[in-house]
Amino acid sequence: MKILSIIRKSIKEHLRSVWILLLTVLMAPFFVMLYYMINEATQTHYDIIVVNQDRGVHFEGGAFNHGAFLIDLFKGTDMDSLDLPIQLEEMEDRTLAEHRLKNKKSDALIIIPEDFSERIVALASGPSVKGVGVEFVGDLTNIYYMVCAIWSYEIIAEYVSELSGAARPVILKETPLGISAQVTDFDMWIPGILMLSIIMLMFTASIAIVTEIENGTIIRLKLSGISSLQLLSGIGLVQVLIGIIAIFLTLQVAMWFGFDYVGVLGPFILIAILTTVSIIGFSLILASVTKSANEILVVGNFPLFLFMFFSGAAFPMHAKELFTISGYGISWQSLLSPSHAVQALNKLWIMNLEFNDVVPEILALIVMSLVYFGIGIWLFQKRHLKVQ
Amino acid sequence: MITLRNLTKRFGPLTAVHDLSLEVRKGEILGFLGPNGAGKTTTIKMICGLIKPTSGIVDFHFENLETKHHRSHLGYCPQDNIFWSKLTCKEQLNLVGRLYGMDSRMIRHRSASLLTQLGLKEKETVLAKKLSGGMKRRLNICLALIHDPEILIFDEPEAGLDPQSRVQVREFIKSLSEDKTVIITTHNMDEADRLSERVAIIDAGRLIKMDTPKNLKHSIGAGDILEIGLSGKAETWESLRSNLMQTFETVTIQEQKMFIKSSRLISRIPEISKIFNDFGVPLQEITLRENTLEDVFIHLTGKALRP
Repeated sequence: MKILSIIRKSIKEHLRSVWILLLTVLMAPFFVMLYYMINEATQTHYDIIVVNQDRGVHFEGGAFNHGAFLIDLFKGTDMDSLDLPIQLEEMEDRTLAEHRLKNKKSDALIIIPEDFSERIVALASGPSVKGVGVEFVGDLTNIYYMVCAIWSYEIIAEYVSELSGAARPVILKETPLGISAQVTDFDMWIPGILMLSIIMLMFTASIAIVTEIENGTIIRLKLSGISSLQLLSGIGLVQVLIGIIAIFLTLQVAMWFGFDYVGVLGPFILIAILTTVSIIGFSLILASVTKSANEILVVGNFPLFLFMFFSGAAFPMHAKELFTISGYGISWQSLLSPSHAVQALNKLWIMNLEFNDVVPEILALIVMSLVYFGIGIWLFQKRHLKVQ
Repeated sequence: MITLRNLTKRFGPLTAVHDLSLEVRKGEILGFLGPNGAGKTTTIKMICGLIKPTSGIVDFHFENLETKHHRSHLGYCPQDNIFWSKLTCKEQLNLVGRLYGMDSRMIRHRSASLLTQLGLKEKETVLAKKLSGGMKRRLNICLALIHDPEILIFDEPEAGLDPQSRVQVREFIKSLSEDKTVIITTHNMDEADRLSERVAIIDAGRLIKMDTPKNLKHSIGAGDILEIGLSGKAETWESLRSNLMQTFETVTIQEQKMFIKSSRLISRIPEISKIFNDFGVPLQEITLRENTLEDVFIHLTGKALRP
């Protein structure tokens, strides 16, 4: 009953501080929108300029320009399952095209020579022609040029081979890992941002606890004989509820922007609850070493920064492995509970693995939650609840 | 009801309460009177079990402080208003009642009764942060009493109250003494005098004297006190005092004021005026009053309660 009273009190207080609650819950969905916009603005694409100098040929009563056909092929390229984000621009003047290339307006320039069609026809007629020449122009230090050159070569080789019947010595085959061919950069960010929505609880949870100290109401609670476990469980359960609302809202917003997950939600909910519990445990540590909400807003920035940027929530991060426990790699990053959660969600949603594959991460989350909670309750008891 | 035995509390090198022993009787209002920093609040907190004595014991019905159960029989109204600012008066009382294990019916009954008695009934659905200062103080009292404790402890209950609220709170505390044991701490001698059946005078963490207000006042002699503001040459004040001592029972000088203590002083003002005139000390700011607890405090400690 005492826990229920604390839960009711805590819910009322949160609902009456609606702005703080809204900012906490909406922070991660805002990050989803931000990452979506960044992703849209910086989406990888390869800009190729083609100068078609091909004269074409008259063959079996018809006029053919294989240079023009090749350009059409480029525009509709679909290399097996891989959609190459190629943006093609046709130009007539080679000098102008090179000028654009030098000004980084494009990644590669392909010059289709005057005799391109003639040489294809000749190649089809007999082995007297050694091959078909195409000129690639570009900055060899630009990685984008490399990708353009490799894939353009593949497309041209395939086209020439089909028309001429000439055998290709090497046929390139690309196998995407997991469902990585179907996911975008935006999709890759989502597991981290979902955890961010829980990390943001650090402030509301620690403020909810420290307010009892700041307002002196802890004295009333002490006098009533409520145990630290009852008090902290009551406050903590409300934070778990806020955490679950925040993470599902973030997931929903991500889905509005095109994110889709594979598999069932069960493991995700388990991971979300465990991460929330661990963050509340950490908030308890934070509340134990501070005395006011203002102090939390200042001191709390440091752990927030650590959790956001070093756990892989804001961007991928892989610290050097120090040792392994039953094959599960442990680094200093493992001390940050959300790092296990991000790793587990990546396995489930990006690598399309099964629940069994994320058991080590879930165990690590449980251990970290217990460690944070243990330290938090011990410190809080010692600093704020113990009779001095 | 409560016995403090050799209670001592040290904070590092500072001894806030020194070897304090006293007994609080069942059904009485005991006032702890002393200046700020005398150790009153520290003593109260030790009684409530909020801080641990360095040495000594607090006994409740022969129950040791170490046992947690005595807390449910205590109602503590701290000096600062302590409540949840985002809860209404009713919600606060409901929460505290629940924490003390009360059922809904009892909470409703007690809340309604307390809020009515302390003039907060109409504000029961108002958030605590929106109450006036006096109302907050009264809510603080309600929260201390919701679980109907046997022992009530008020730390400076009238501090910061307007005259109207002060009277209301005072009358309420007096009404409680019919079936409760009440301890109040104060540095306001008027508050202690009006409310307490017995007063414990505390200074520098030590119990100086404990008795009824009447006995304490009589202990420094019956009669009136003439308080005269001093001006002119300070070196003549001592000669003036020596001269007056030949005629009056007690004459003291404290912070540019002379205190003459004797019976029927009003009829002797012309005589005093003449002596002042002879010593060239102008007679000004004359106040004639009865003995107060402050006089007792000055008499016992040699310093004023409120400088």
